[in-house]
Amino acid sequence: MSWEPTLAHFLILSAAVFSIGLVGVMIRRNAIILFMCIELMINSVNLTFIAFARYRFEMDGHVFAFFIMAVAAAEAAVALAIVIHVFRHKRGVSVDDMQALKY
Amino acid sequence: MGFWEPLFFWIFAFGAIITSCAVIWMRNPLYCALALILDFFCFAGLYVLLSAHFLAVVQILVYGGAIMVLFLFIIMLLNLRERETLSIPFQVHGLAAVVGGVAMFFFAAVVILNTVDMDRVEEERARYAEAVEQAEEPVPLMTESAIEGLYADVNETAVEEQYVEKLRAWRDGTAKPSDGKYPQFDPQRPFELPPSLEPDPELAQVVPGREGLYGTFKPVSVMLVNRFVVPFELTAVLLLAAIIGAVILAKRRVA
Repeated sequence: MSWEPTLAHFLILSAAVFSIGLVGVMIRRNAIILFMCIELMINSVNLTFIAFARYRFEMDGHVFAFFIMAVAAAEAAVALAIVIHVFRHKRGVSVDDMQALKY
Repeated sequence: MGFWEPLFFWIFAFGAIITSCAVIWMRNPLYCALALILDFFCFAGLYVLLSAHFLAVVQILVYGGAIMVLFLFIIMLLNLRERETLSIPFQVHGLAAVVGGVAMFFFAAVVILNTVDMDRVEEERARYAEAVEQAEEPVPLMTESAIEGLYADVNETAVEEQYVEKLRAWRDGTAKPSDGKYPQFDPQRPFELPPSLEPDPELAQVVPGREGLYGTFKPVSVMLVNRFVVPFELTAVLLLAAIIGAVILAKRRVA
């Protein structure tokens, strides 16, 4: 690993943030924080796209990242509406409460 | 690559990792959301280092602005009690999750380090820097597609020349009425680019490696309305569907 950032630096940083988000999804119980961790993972994937785009000096990756951001915005809106809905029924946002389909 | 760019890379990289850890360790969801905002700003800084200026701005506007306002609004609206905000006590499940995450990171890192040829990266970087130094014309941004008609081959120099000519016509008073504020519709080029500012060669030299239009608004928007116009319009449909779905879900009772 050199002091100057290269493609591998960005990819490894992205892998690290993705893994942190994955751990967060697995250890947390709060639905809102689960969505935050998913946003983290989406962001790390965006970083990968942009790093590869810069490496190849093409801009297709930027367009991909742009679409991912749009989809993430839509997803956040719907997900938080679901959180409000669940809170109204269960008086909490813990994913442990959401097991009505389990049995 | 000077001194500052690597320094800022390491600052933003460690900032991103530390704030990501804060997001999953903080007990209060409010602190998690604030850490996530900092994280998004670190990512925007990394995008700037990758000369994705447009996406850096979009990152701050969409993520740091819209999405995080939504998160904070929901957290404050629901007014979560402390018992609900507590994460689970330490148990085997959490330990297994952490071990799994660390293992995944190491697998990914090993794969990356074995796949990315570091010598090749250095070689390409040196080759590109040399090409930029010796180039008389801008480094081409886009290559032509094999599928005819699907890809607008944007020749930046030709576009620039065309507008310089038009500006000159306006200045000299030889412009025709059809050269008005908006150019006449040309079916061959349905998506006309707005007149750009004159490129300032001195300004381009301020930030090394940031020459040309790479990563700025213009090429991204040109690609969005030419080659990627169908997914672009579908995104609009998706956002409409998300708006309707969110309203219906959050309403107390759908009439």
